[in-house]
Amino acid sequence: MLMSRIDVNNLHFSYNKGDEILKGISLSIDKESTAIIGQNGAGKTTFVKLLKGLLKPDSGDIFIMGKDTKDTTAAELAKYIGLVFQNPNDQIFKNKVLDEVMFGPLNIGQDQAKAEESSMKALEMVGLKDLYDKNPYDLSLSERKLISIASIIAMETEIIIFDEPTIAQDYAGKEKIKGIIRQLMADGKLVLTIIHDMDFVAETFERVIVFQNGKPLLDGKTREVYSHEDVLYSAYLEPPHVTQLCKKLGYKDTFLTVEEFIASRRDINH
Amino acid sequence: MDIDPAFNLNDTLEDIIMNKIVVENLKYRYPLTEELALNDISFEVNEGEFIGIIGENLAGKSTLCQSLVGLVPHFYGGAYGGKVLIDGMEVLKSEISDIALKVGMVFQNPFTQVTGSKLTVYEEIAFGLENMGLERSEMIERIDYALSLLDIYKFKDRNPFDLSGGQMQRMAIAGIIAMKPEIIVLDEPTSQLDPQGSEEVFKAIQDLSHEGITVIMVEHKIEKIAKYSDRVMLMHKGSIVDFDTPKKIFSKDDLEKYGVIAPAFTRICKAFDVKDDNGLYPVTLDEAYDVVVNVNE
Amino acid sequence: MKSISLYVPGKTFIYKIDPITKLFYIAVAIIIPIVAPAQIVSYICLAVSLLIILFGKIIKKVLPIISFSAIILVTVVIIQGLFKLDNKTPMFSIGPLTFYKEGLSYALVICMRVFNILFAFSILVLTTKPSDLIESLVRKGLSPKIGYVLDSVLQIIPEMTATMSTITDAQRSRGLETEGKLSTRIKAFFPLIGPVVMNSLVATRERAMALEVRGFNSKREKSFLNEEFKSPYSRVLQWTLTLLLILTILWRILS
Repeated sequence: MLMSRIDVNNLHFSYNKGDEILKGISLSIDKESTAIIGQNGAGKTTFVKLLKGLLKPDSGDIFIMGKDTKDTTAAELAKYIGLVFQNPNDQIFKNKVLDEVMFGPLNIGQDQAKAEESSMKALEMVGLKDLYDKNPYDLSLSERKLISIASIIAMETEIIIFDEPTIAQDYAGKEKIKGIIRQLMADGKLVLTIIHDMDFVAETFERVIVFQNGKPLLDGKTREVYSHEDVLYSAYLEPPHVTQLCKKLGYKDTFLTVEEFIASRRDINH
Repeated sequence: MDIDPAFNLNDTLEDIIMNKIVVENLKYRYPLTEELALNDISFEVNEGEFIGIIGENLAGKSTLCQSLVGLVPHFYGGAYGGKVLIDGMEVLKSEISDIALKVGMVFQNPFTQVTGSKLTVYEEIAFGLENMGLERSEMIERIDYALSLLDIYKFKDRNPFDLSGGQMQRMAIAGIIAMKPEIIVLDEPTSQLDPQGSEEVFKAIQDLSHEGITVIMVEHKIEKIAKYSDRVMLMHKGSIVDFDTPKKIFSKDDLEKYGVIAPAFTRICKAFDVKDDNGLYPVTLDEAYDVVVNVNE
Repeated sequence: MKSISLYVPGKTFIYKIDPITKLFYIAVAIIIPIVAPAQIVSYICLAVSLLIILFGKIIKKVLPIISFSAIILVTVVIIQGLFKLDNKTPMFSIGPLTFYKEGLSYALVICMRVFNILFAFSILVLTTKPSDLIESLVRKGLSPKIGYVLDSVLQIIPEMTATMSTITDAQRSRGLETEGKLSTRIKAFFPLIGPVVMNSLVATRERAMALEVRGFNSKREKSFLNEEFKSPYSRVLQWTLTLLLILTILWRILS
């Protein structure tokens, strides 16, 4: 029986009795890179923490690579599913970049040599290989963000989740992160993200789940989800800017990126 | 009438009245660094304008904002040259608490702007007013005004830490507005907020602008900058590359060199060379729609 | 988020007395028994405090404080009663252990002093909001900046626990074990404390800047949003307490 990398069955969760945050979620995520969007308070962060085993379900199951999160510690699950936290200052504590990146791999059982190898490879992927022996505290916030990403990539997990990867990033930073995500996808990893940047989602992710009030409101391929303008507005979200313009201009198709629209119009003109 | 000795007597009367902010040859270097964070910056802002500042990270945008309120140089030290005049008052020669009466500043992180010393939102807004030594009745009037303008009156008795990100940021703005500055500087005010919170804050900023307050805002959300700004300042490596209307700035074709990208609508129109009557590319959704529809007719 | 405070809301007469008067009371209630040449004064002070607590209806909140210190004081009684150096007059015996009068008297004095201090402080701490106390002190001349630090510490420390739990989650996500044997917990210390300290430093700096632009370092005289906590007899009470203290000092000098 082929299991998905992430299987969720009828998940219920509340922090306090009587105030249910997640109200019966069932879904599977296996191959498609997936973005989870929705207002703060809709349950996205809670959902991700449950996937990571940081929280345990009140009822229902979560299976990560076939393992039941109720029977596994977060540290154990860290071998299979990695989470890049929003604020790099919440995890950086070593005074050498390489040591920082090696922390995760060593914890999950890689030996010294392997940890160093996977860490250098990860630093290369984020473009910081030359800074490996610098002190993270001497680097800029953007560089520290890349270090925190490398720290998780080095753990070589099947699944990687990014929590708000584009916050406070400028254009170049976003393009860099886009590139890293695309590389991870090409390497066969399952990439998930919680994010507010609709344009970035449209340009990068294959599937979108809209959370509202503790349940998925919409779940499907990116193009499909972004075509439901009214539903998105009801969840206080809006489609990507390109999508909005094309819709207003009367195009039936849902366009996700500027490049896509330009290409399609040019095709028609030839 | 006392004349503030910081007045530059070479300014004409017109300059003093019209230009709310005058920056002349501003240079600044943070302590223990070698490079200039601000490299010979000069510009003027008129009363009531809405100025958007864009540029890649480390271009000097935050440093420039902080130089308008006196944090640069008074909070950091460092090497400073040139002049920043707010309503004729020279920042270098004034105390931050005096400058604060003319220019308010709102930062990125809603959480670290909460003083932590007050137990209700109402008292939190009073913080700056108590420091100003205002009369109680005056304080109450200003707090009520600020709470309504930012649409957070209903939270007045809540603990400041019990608010959402968007609500907290609006509270930070209200705390500044109550001090009645004529200029407000916002440094990426929505970057840590969710879409709803961002919308709430942008709406609030727009309302402030309609009240006649001069707004200076740093943002990465290009489409928002294009929508709200009267003029846009493009910064790069501590200098001003250009300072003009949104259309003129975003119609430039070398934006990527400076680490910024034009709004999606502009990029589409650029690709098909669809311009408006002035030969410039549209920068907002509505403008793009109008121009495209006109072209097709 | 709750701020750190032992304050319990209420409406009795104690709540209507201003914080400064309560501070006077604490000072006087502690100093008088020490200065007075007669032991009986100690009992009188204790009784007065107890009466205030009873009539102020805060006795329920005081009991946990008493029981906790009572446990410690019992050990004092036992040790002094059995082993004090100048013990010579036996009072009673339990099996092979003899309790002496000198030791027990001394222990009694200690207990009375401790209860005296606890009762006096309870009267202040249980019936006064920390922010009201601090505001009263600032009105009397305490630096507003120190007042701010005291006020904010009470709220910001609980807020930091939220950051701490995010940091713990982040490091657990990287495979750090935080539960289990002592050596595991010790190993988890640095990965947790490093980011906590960094975050606090960054947050403190950001907050300092935000305070600056709200006029924190203004040289003007500060005003107050709240009306001054005026209580009807504060003058009278403060003068009376001061007078009692002076009389006690005179009493001692003349004895």
